[in-house]
Amino acid sequence: MIEVEGLTKRFVDRDVVADVSFFVPEGEVLGFLGPNGAGKTTTMRMITGYLAATAGRVRVAGHSLETDPLAVRASIGYLPENVPLYPEMRVEEYLRFRAAVEGIPRKLIRSRLDEVVERCLIAEVRRQVVGTLSKGYRQRVGLAGALIHKPPVLVLDEPTVGLDPRQIVKVRELIAELGREHTVILSTHILPEVEQICRRVLIIDGGRLVADGTPEELRGALLGDAELHLELDAPQAEATVALRMLDGVGEVKTESDGTFRLVLEGAVDPRRQVFELVVARGWTLMEMARSVPSLEDVFLRLTTRDAAADEEAENTRKKAVADNEEAIEEVGYGQ
Amino acid sequence: MGSKLFALVRRELGAYFSSPLAYVVLTACTVVNGWVFFLIVSYLNDPRTAPMAAFKLLFGGTIFFWLLLLFVLPVITMRLLAEERRSGTLEVLLTAPVTEFQVILGKFLASLVFYLFLWLPTLAHVALLARYSPLEWGPVVAGYLGVALLGSMFLSMGLLTSALVRNQIVAAVFAFALLVVVFSLGLVEGLVTAPTWKGVLSHMNLWSLMDDFSRGLVDTRWVIYPLSVTGLFLFLATKALEASKGR
Repeated sequence: MIEVEGLTKRFVDRDVVADVSFFVPEGEVLGFLGPNGAGKTTTMRMITGYLAATAGRVRVAGHSLETDPLAVRASIGYLPENVPLYPEMRVEEYLRFRAAVEGIPRKLIRSRLDEVVERCLIAEVRRQVVGTLSKGYRQRVGLAGALIHKPPVLVLDEPTVGLDPRQIVKVRELIAELGREHTVILSTHILPEVEQICRRVLIIDGGRLVADGTPEELRGALLGDAELHLELDAPQAEATVALRMLDGVGEVKTESDGTFRLVLEGAVDPRRQVFELVVARGWTLMEMARSVPSLEDVFLRLTTRDAAADEEAENTRKKAVADNEEAIEEVGYGQ
Repeated sequence: MGSKLFALVRRELGAYFSSPLAYVVLTACTVVNGWVFFLIVSYLNDPRTAPMAAFKLLFGGTIFFWLLLLFVLPVITMRLLAEERRSGTLEVLLTAPVTEFQVILGKFLASLVFYLFLWLPTLAHVALLARYSPLEWGPVVAGYLGVALLGSMFLSMGLLTSALVRNQIVAAVFAFALLVVVFSLGLVEGLVTAPTWKGVLSHMNLWSLMDDFSRGLVDTRWVIYPLSVTGLFLFLATKALEASKGR
């Protein structure tokens, strides 16, 4: 549904987005994850055609952005960051305007309007002036505007920013529901959001794609397996050997405070065996906890890297990002 | 295509009439035109004046007419694109299936309609004149035509400056400067001695343009000049909008 190939955006002499390629099949909800200033918005703007790419190709719903930009624009429903709306218009008036600009025939506008108003739960404010709406309603009105022409693709740039927790839940539910009928690209820097609604995640950092996969794949591939944390009252050497012999335990590490860290392998859960072993040897078990790496760990590892290993590289990157933001500010691109 | 353009024009007109600025401008224009009308009436009451001179006053014969155009038109056009860029709504507009030219044309037509609306109250002046003195309709119709042509030319220039920047005030100041240059070409004509330049400048003399129209004289070159300048500036504004995408 969405094909992006070698997409690059150069501002002044730095690549804000560098050689980004990915493919989104129909019906997928893709999370676009990255720290602030990583190039998420820039990438989305290039996909929607608002920003011309320095290099690379974009195809949406079979149309090439280069040769048929209007067809690409017609197949995308786009909700930019900060949800720009016309403050002087009434909600219904605004949605009618969006519908007309999207080329919906006059006779169909009424029914489409009723549909999106109901779907985005904005019936109670449909006669209200946009400028007087709360942030949560603004977000939903923007979403309704992006949906009004039933686009096959939805591009949502940070759709839950600035909402209160209850509104965030509502908007997420709505997006998850939309994912059943539309192909969705969603950018965010909030991790639980991605884990909840996205089937696939792209992580972008410093303008480059650093990871691509389902949340589970990313966890497994990038952080290894789960770990078991043990606090035992037992002779250390003996316990290390015995624990190592258990099924499903890959490696046993002893920490300086006398606790054990067991790296788990495969699908076997060795907790029962650990307990039985402890009882059989007459040791005392003070604590046992299993930890599964969260997407947060993956994200932090990917986007901050090993501080000791390449602190310098990191500083350079940060400076580049800061300079980019400055450059972007200068050309009046950021908000 | 037509319905998209219509939607753009309608939204823009809605924006005009829901901003306080529209009413300030409307009031200013009515006051200035009322003052000009008062001058006309005084003129007509003077037995030494030929009745024909009246419309030269209404359409371009006084400095008020030009001040009005030079100051008010940049105010009409300043927010058109600058405001959309500042608030981010331009991003929504330019990722919708409309061309940049449609956006520009929609904004231009809306500003033209609003500009012509500003002249509506002056119809009352014409009606009053017609009631109390013999009136030749030729100069009246030609005069309004001149007003519309000049307006479209100036509005297209203002639209270009609004397409270039994101601050409304900056857009207005640039537009004002541009209008002053174009307007003063007519004044330069008298200062130039080289016959070629004199000839070129005489074709750009907006004073002569309004002078002819207000005498009821519709010269095709006075129609083609403002129309082609309008076309040129709408084209430039479209290019500026395309080039500024994403900024």
